[in-house]
Amino acid sequence: MTGKVLGFGIRSIYAVLIVIPLLVVLFGSFKTTSEIFKSPFAPPASPSLANYAEAFSGGSLIGAFANSAMITTTSVFLTLFLGSMAAYGLSRIPGWRGWLLFGFIVIGMSVPVQANMIPQYVLFGSLGLLDTQLGLIIINIVVTLPVSVFIMGGFMRTLPAELFEAAEVDGAGPWRNYYQIALPLSAPSIAATATFLFVMHWNDLLYPLLFISSEEKMTLPLALLRFQGEYMTNYPLLFAGVVLTSIPVVVAYVFLQRFFVAGITGGAVKG
Amino acid sequence: MDRRGFLGVAGAFGAAGLMSACAGPGSTSSGAGGFTTDDVATGEVSFAHWRGEDRKIFKELIADFTKVESEISVAQDISPSDDYEAQALRRMRNGSVGDVAPAFRGAQFESFVESGFFVDLEPTDLTSRYKAELITAGSADGVQYGYPYQIVFNDPIANLDILEKAGYPEPAGDWDSYLDMLDKIQSQGVTPIAMPGADAGNAGQLINPMIMNLGPTEDMCAKIESGEYKLTDDWFLEMLRKYGELGDYVQPNASGTAAEPAQQMFATGEAAILATGSYHMASVRSLGAEFPIDIAPPITSDPGQAVYLAAYNATFILGINSASEVQGAGIAWLEYLSRPEVAGAYADGTAQFSPVKGVEYENPDLDRVSSWLEKDILLAPRYQFTDLDMRAAVEDSCLQALTGTEPEKAAEDAQHIVDQRIDS
Amino acid sequence: MKDRRRRSSRRTPWAYFVFPLPAFVLYVVFFVIPTLQTVQYSITNWDGYSANYDLVGLDNFARAVTGDALFTNAFVNNMKFMMVVVVGQTVLALILSVLLVRNTKTTIFLRALYFFPTILSSVSVGFIWKFVYDPNFGVINGLLGRLGLSEAQSSFLGNDDQAIYWLSITQIWFHAGMMVVIFVAGLQAIPAELYESAEVDGASRWQQFWSITWPLIAPAMSIVVAYTTIQSFKAFDLVLSISGNPPSSSLDILSTRIYSSFANSEMGYAATESVLFIAAIVAITFALRRFLRLVQRGES
Repeated sequence: MTGKVLGFGIRSIYAVLIVIPLLVVLFGSFKTTSEIFKSPFAPPASPSLANYAEAFSGGSLIGAFANSAMITTTSVFLTLFLGSMAAYGLSRIPGWRGWLLFGFIVIGMSVPVQANMIPQYVLFGSLGLLDTQLGLIIINIVVTLPVSVFIMGGFMRTLPAELFEAAEVDGAGPWRNYYQIALPLSAPSIAATATFLFVMHWNDLLYPLLFISSEEKMTLPLALLRFQGEYMTNYPLLFAGVVLTSIPVVVAYVFLQRFFVAGITGGAVKG
Repeated sequence: MDRRGFLGVAGAFGAAGLMSACAGPGSTSSGAGGFTTDDVATGEVSFAHWRGEDRKIFKELIADFTKVESEISVAQDISPSDDYEAQALRRMRNGSVGDVAPAFRGAQFESFVESGFFVDLEPTDLTSRYKAELITAGSADGVQYGYPYQIVFNDPIANLDILEKAGYPEPAGDWDSYLDMLDKIQSQGVTPIAMPGADAGNAGQLINPMIMNLGPTEDMCAKIESGEYKLTDDWFLEMLRKYGELGDYVQPNASGTAAEPAQQMFATGEAAILATGSYHMASVRSLGAEFPIDIAPPITSDPGQAVYLAAYNATFILGINSASEVQGAGIAWLEYLSRPEVAGAYADGTAQFSPVKGVEYENPDLDRVSSWLEKDILLAPRYQFTDLDMRAAVEDSCLQALTGTEPEKAAEDAQHIVDQRIDS
Repeated sequence: MKDRRRRSSRRTPWAYFVFPLPAFVLYVVFFVIPTLQTVQYSITNWDGYSANYDLVGLDNFARAVTGDALFTNAFVNNMKFMMVVVVGQTVLALILSVLLVRNTKTTIFLRALYFFPTILSSVSVGFIWKFVYDPNFGVINGLLGRLGLSEAQSSFLGNDDQAIYWLSITQIWFHAGMMVVIFVAGLQAIPAELYESAEVDGASRWQQFWSITWPLIAPAMSIVVAYTTIQSFKAFDLVLSISGNPPSSSLDILSTRIYSSFANSEMGYAATESVLFIAAIVAITFALRRFLRLVQRGES
């Protein structure tokens, strides 16, 4: 009983800690600048939608939103596909070879983006991939492959080898084992990876900034950056922009999470 | 959050800048110098700049300009400043963007000139429209490549109402009376100085007026960087001691205060002086400040001994892109901007100063402060640093001294870093 | 858990090598080769734009290790930051995910809520927390003032000795929700029957945690720890958005230091710092994994 109360307390306190700063942004988007400073944490005294109206009319947020949605969806899907194939293949290669190849790709996680972006920029330039959405998708995949293989591969290694061996006796090949056994059983880790990739790809600013120069190809973070550059001192407007661009992600997350749960409970064999 | 914050998120800017610079020379070396093709004033001018807050006033000016010059259209191309700092060269290279473009004072301007991106403006006869002493930042090797179009004072700004109550209708002109002024302000229960110590870009500005009369030469910061002057030299230690004296007059926890809260303290009259620069006057007004504002540079000298009375800076330098195909139209636009009434409208619209001769300010703040342009002022020394780590170390020593570290210790720590960087 | 099977005696079908192939091709061409070029730059004095540069051997490495107070400072800061974030974030996320493992409307909502900061941009998070920590208008000092604890008020990020720890708290706030999602996925993969039979045997919840949850959460745990470690080395956006560029020296970490070297046109040296950075992450990740394995074996 005390455990329950304690658990309830912890959950509530942490929820409050999360909510307060977020309320500052939400409230702030309905305030004036000086009101934000005078009472940053209070609800707006006289809520105004002016900031939102201006955020809509002033920027190119809608086009950028479409670009981001396209690039993120494609990148997440392709990374999951390539990553899960690699994770599966590597987890089925026995002995040191599998570990070595696994380590080779996973060590990429440790490389800071600052370390290789210059050679990457030159390379993408020579391939004509700068200022293209394809270029961004490729770089998204490449940069997040190591962590995807790490998460999904780590999980797939825990799947009992007997499952695959039994299926092989029934005549299943590696490909069928991949989509009939490995993928469904790894649903939890694939879901976790997907969440992870979605956030990373959606919020990435570094590479769009490096690669994209034309306005019609801008992604959302880049458009927000421009937006911020233009309305630098106008925090209420900035907050309105943040809120507007976050809403779809929140909705997507809530939707995805339900999907994840279905994926997890729908898995044919447990553990 | 200031602009600098965004650089953080961006991350790659420096690198992008380096890359554009690396492809720079060679490929366009022939572009330097005179005008290339048709000097006929027609076509669509791409006007690049990084001051998003200027979009509106430029829009008005463009409308006015194109009413007369119906053959010309002008399109603004606005990047965030850090973005521009790094990507300008790359984007301007092919001439599709930035027929008329700004350069930051110092490193970027020099790299524009070196890569041949800016044409010599001498043939345009516009130079005579500007105050010669205010446009030195736009010339190199005796050639005028661009015009500083906006002037700011990198000196603290003051609430004149509070100063007057303290018995100083004019900001004090020597060190002892400056401290006396701060004392009297404090005794009224007002914080004398609001210091945004957590924001290096703003807190660092105070070094400009503090060092301008103490440095042995005008290029003191360049000489610190080259190792000729040491931070442990007497004159620098004296400056740090004076920083320490100012430390008694700043708000509590100054080292953790960001720029926006410091502005708020100043705007509400909680603090008498804001230790940033004249570029904050407009934001302070928009926060509701209604008192008269002037700059109040701390003068470190004895009475009557000060050589310089304030430090100023050129925010950006406008020039013509050598790769542009509509140079004639670009020059027409630059000519228009160089008219006193236009420069005045821009100055009023942005609450900054103009180096164009004959400008009259409608904005009373500008009108008041603009009298400083006629005084003995020094181009802000802080921007002589080209090594950002050294600059950060030097500025940090000032902040350390301000918050109570022994000047000798602060100077030694910073000099250690400077030495290591000179050696490398 | 399982005896080593003599799997290696059977021939591995070639198809298993084909599965990773597309990923490997992309990875090698667009990631490994550029990284190797960085390693190549690390023994030069290239400024990043000149056509020419000299090979300087290991001079850059010697400078970073012995003659660069700024690099040392960033390294020490980064270690402190990493320690606090790895321990704090992992423990917090584990506690929260144990409380949220069941799928009810409330838990799904809370998981989404905790996750929320992760989807914000670092710029927004940095700005929000500048407000929270502000000594004059901020919520913490304001609260302390109202409680009559003005003595405890602090300049937070302005206090050179503490700044990095305050930054750690922001980082935990920012990313703990993500770790909760991973832990919950791991916890839900533990068969419910194990708990049911433990319940029948009369084990307390605490005993169930140590005997079932703790050992079986190992895969998720290693993911969380590895990810947190790396993330805390890369907290580049957050540092710059909260402290400006360049950040104050009390908040300088390795990734921002590398960036400063780039900005100072020291490409070769920045590459050297990157190589040392990679080495540090690999070493620490490896050490942490060993440590985790020891701890979990000891407990189970």
